[in-house]
Amino acid sequence: MKPLNLITLLLFLAGVAWALTRSEEGVRQIQRTYYAAIGPFLKSGANLETKARAFTDEVEHSKTVIAKLEVAEAALVKLRTEASHLRKLEEENIQLRSALKFQQRSPFSVKAAKLIRRKPATWWETITIDRGLEHKVEAQLPVLAAEGLVGKVDRPNNETSTVILLTDEKCQVSAKIKGSQEVGILSGQRAQHGEKPMLRLRYLSKEAKIKPGSTVVTTGRGGLFPANINLGTVVSSEVGAIDAEALVKPAVDFAALDTVFVLLGHQ
Amino acid sequence: MIRYHISLFIFVLIACVLQQFIPAVTALYDARILLLHLVFLCCSVTVGFSPMLGLAFLCGFLWDANNTLGPQGGDSEVYINQIDSLRFGYSILLFGLMGVLMQCIQPLFRRGAWQVSAILTGISVFLYLLAEFLLITFVRGEWIFPAKVLTQIWLTAAMTMLCSPLIFAILFKLAKLFDFTIRYDGLKRRYFTPEAYSLDK
Repeated sequence: MKPLNLITLLLFLAGVAWALTRSEEGVRQIQRTYYAAIGPFLKSGANLETKARAFTDEVEHSKTVIAKLEVAEAALVKLRTEASHLRKLEEENIQLRSALKFQQRSPFSVKAAKLIRRKPATWWETITIDRGLEHKVEAQLPVLAAEGLVGKVDRPNNETSTVILLTDEKCQVSAKIKGSQEVGILSGQRAQHGEKPMLRLRYLSKEAKIKPGSTVVTTGRGGLFPANINLGTVVSSEVGAIDAEALVKPAVDFAALDTVFVLLGHQ
Repeated sequence: MIRYHISLFIFVLIACVLQQFIPAVTALYDARILLLHLVFLCCSVTVGFSPMLGLAFLCGFLWDANNTLGPQGGDSEVYINQIDSLRFGYSILLFGLMGVLMQCIQPLFRRGAWQVSAILTGISVFLYLLAEFLLITFVRGEWIFPAKVLTQIWLTAAMTMLCSPLIFAILFKLAKLFDFTIRYDGLKRRYFTPEAYSLDK
């Protein structure tokens, strides 16, 4: 091996050792700097996506109208299009009202945030939101949707934050089955694919009478999440040698998430 | 020569930004094009050992800064089984290993058989993702390897590999622009032509 290559190899290995031995705070600092640099691209990308979606919707809409005109149903189509547009507005209105009501009825201070990126990593179930340290978003804060728990803030940066979803194996939640004394740990499953991920509620007692359809909520223990936040419903259960576990369908439709709420007053 | 190498580092940074906008395809088992990995793999076959290690460090560093998860947090009396994730810096090592693999076929690339390098990018990405998943399994325990994971890995590798001719074309253009000859200084075989390969042949 050439001396230059040998020196580079040694430098490379020293660099690897340096990176691997960074403290948690050191890694966070590196990530904060990285996201400060890449943040503007992420935000402009999200804006572009919104505009592109609006444009696509517009194009689809125009095509539909033209097609209907060709079959001499102009008037009917116009009415249908208007009705469809109104329905869309109505749905949007209902969604916004629901979000507003959620924000009003929440006993904590919540900060609404928009999703700007979905699942950037290969193996982790994470999303990126457009709120960060500048908006008082901190690590480990719970993230909610109107239907229930979404996850928690994993890495707050200046303007954006990474949220680890409930469907990730690393996002563990102390949970209980509503109406019973059964307490366990709820988390996502490794290497799970598809639009309808399932959760695992583990460490339940062997004698537990778990009925499919039962609601699973947070216990409030463990210092991460407040009590009685909806998590999902039991689909099935299985008794093992030591304990029992249940398969839980999440309350939140993660594929349809658009706006989430960070619970600022809790930690 | 230095201008070509600087352009590669800039190319990697651009790929890192573009990677942010490449979504996972849910219908294809969350497979996606790993542009940063692809650009690194294609670059690593065109440069010497030392610049390849430099690129590996940069790519691994950027990838980990983008993806490393924080600690789980919470009361350890409630969350007894803390779930670990991979440490910051592991990707640098994996990128380095992929680069070494790509350099093994540099003589063929020098000869003009860039197609072999293109196929090897797919194989490298496959091995990278497999190693990553096995590392996660090793760190977290509980052996899980569903068939869907294998499908996700090979689909990601295939999708990434299909984009490699485009990246090679950009690299040949860059090499021409900066008068860089893709040189192989290692073990020489007489059936390898001494001339550099270019798109204009």
